[in-house]
Amino acid sequence: MKSAPSDLPRTGSRPQTGLVPRTVAARPTWWPHFSSTVRSTALTARLGRALGVAFSICFLTGLLSYTQYLTWPWLPKPVVPAWGYRATQGLHVITGIASIPLVLVKLWSVYPTTFRWPPFRSVRRVLEIASAVILIAATLVQLVSGFLNLLDWRPFRWDFVVVHYALAYVVIGSVLLHVAIKLPDIRYGLGTRLADGDVLSEVPWDENPDSHSNAGPLPAPSTPAITRRGLLVATASGIGLVVITGLGQTVAPLERVGLLAVRQPSRGPQGVPVGRTAVEAGVVEAVTSADWRLDVVGPQPYALRVADLEPLATRQVRLPIAAGQGWSASAEWRGIPLLDLVQRAGGSVESRVVVRSLARGGITKAELTGSQLAEAVLATHLNGRPLDLDHGYPIRLVGPNRAELFDTKWIGRIEVQP
Amino acid sequence: MRAARLALGGAGILMIGYGIVRLVHSLPAPMLALLGGWLLAVVIIQLAVLSPVILAVGVALRVLPDRGRGFVQAGLIAAAAVTIIAIPLILRQHSQPAAKAMLLQDYRLNLLLLLALIAAGLAIAYAVRVARDRVKPPGA
Repeated sequence: MKSAPSDLPRTGSRPQTGLVPRTVAARPTWWPHFSSTVRSTALTARLGRALGVAFSICFLTGLLSYTQYLTWPWLPKPVVPAWGYRATQGLHVITGIASIPLVLVKLWSVYPTTFRWPPFRSVRRVLEIASAVILIAATLVQLVSGFLNLLDWRPFRWDFVVVHYALAYVVIGSVLLHVAIKLPDIRYGLGTRLADGDVLSEVPWDENPDSHSNAGPLPAPSTPAITRRGLLVATASGIGLVVITGLGQTVAPLERVGLLAVRQPSRGPQGVPVGRTAVEAGVVEAVTSADWRLDVVGPQPYALRVADLEPLATRQVRLPIAAGQGWSASAEWRGIPLLDLVQRAGGSVESRVVVRSLARGGITKAELTGSQLAEAVLATHLNGRPLDLDHGYPIRLVGPNRAELFDTKWIGRIEVQP
Repeated sequence: MRAARLALGGAGILMIGYGIVRLVHSLPAPMLALLGGWLLAVVIIQLAVLSPVILAVGVALRVLPDRGRGFVQAGLIAAAAVTIIAIPLILRQHSQPAAKAMLLQDYRLNLLLLLALIAAGLAIAYAVRVARDRVKPPGA
């Protein structure tokens, strides 16, 4: 076990332990032995650092996205920058995707530590194993379920948002715990040149006669085939390809090279993708019926018919539509300022307004206050043409820096609470 | 460093606890059991299936001469990164309504293109290395 030395090691070195290597001889002859000289704490620490950055990005952008679900009165929901949600969620998703191969390479680099001998030598070692198992389990489920969710594929059946949000704390918590446990190793790994670092094998460094802490200064281990730097370059290249070909679902100029992009925004109706179709939402009949009307409920309630919308739809805005699944597209919208309808119903910019959809199941309403209320537009036209049925015909909500999920489509009712 | 480790570890344990409490409170028992199954399954797959397969590939590559082997290893790493992302896309392609503008591509073909690109890049890098070694033999 890589027990923490009681005295602090200098950066870039481990203390001379003077321990007599014993486990090498004591373990059974059939016990696995790892001979690759490519693995090293110096390599693992660098992979871990990259993952630390990636997970921090995912956690912070994820928390930001979660605020879209909250309606706490004190929670600000800024309208600037209008592309904020688009940028943060595009980043969240592509960073999560890039983390999948990165995690696998990281786990490869430490695989020999699975085979410490004896496996459960001390309480401390058992706790270390437990923390690693939590970290690996939570991380892999988080990344895999997150990726499958992008494909609207949920074989896990649980409520994705609930689990993704809660599991994020387990992932980040176990990362912090892992860093705490491994801090001496991390300091050594990052403080040592990549080529020079001790080989990481199944034998802990303090018991390994070939580690520099026992053998003194050593020449860099020979890596006859791929080098450690080569491994990092290969990993970065593979991940780079994944990122460039995956970003096309949110960065328009990259759509043409989007070989691994889940969505191709320009192929959606009116040049914009759809999160949920009218058929999926079960609204086709309700919104195409001659009886359709928009009820505005408040101190002075009224209702609008389809023919009433057109003369009111005078506001032109260019706004991105951006989903938590990381796709987005910029578009020209024309519609009615929500505040106009709210004021006509006796409300004001101080009101709390709930916009309700005729859709069945899923998220079917949005709550707006303050600047979000002031900036929101009830769109009837998209890119110069009346809204497609799948985009929320006859009228939908759009606004700056909002999640597509809360850009309520197929609106049937607006509630104004002054 | 001791104080930093205690602070990090303490914060980590609190966050893990918070996450677990949230899960237990918000999920019905059958879903918790399902989640537990997934958590267990991914660890087993990673430790007992994926890793041994990768090791076996590494051992099999030892028949190659060192210089060429390094390039093959690099190529396989990059190829694996691309492939692992492409496989779910291939499994789900054309499964959704067209209006979603999603999974409309032939990802099998796209994966082949990417693998060909990686192979071509490595072939060029290998040729450059061989040419360089001829001018200045390794170790000289």
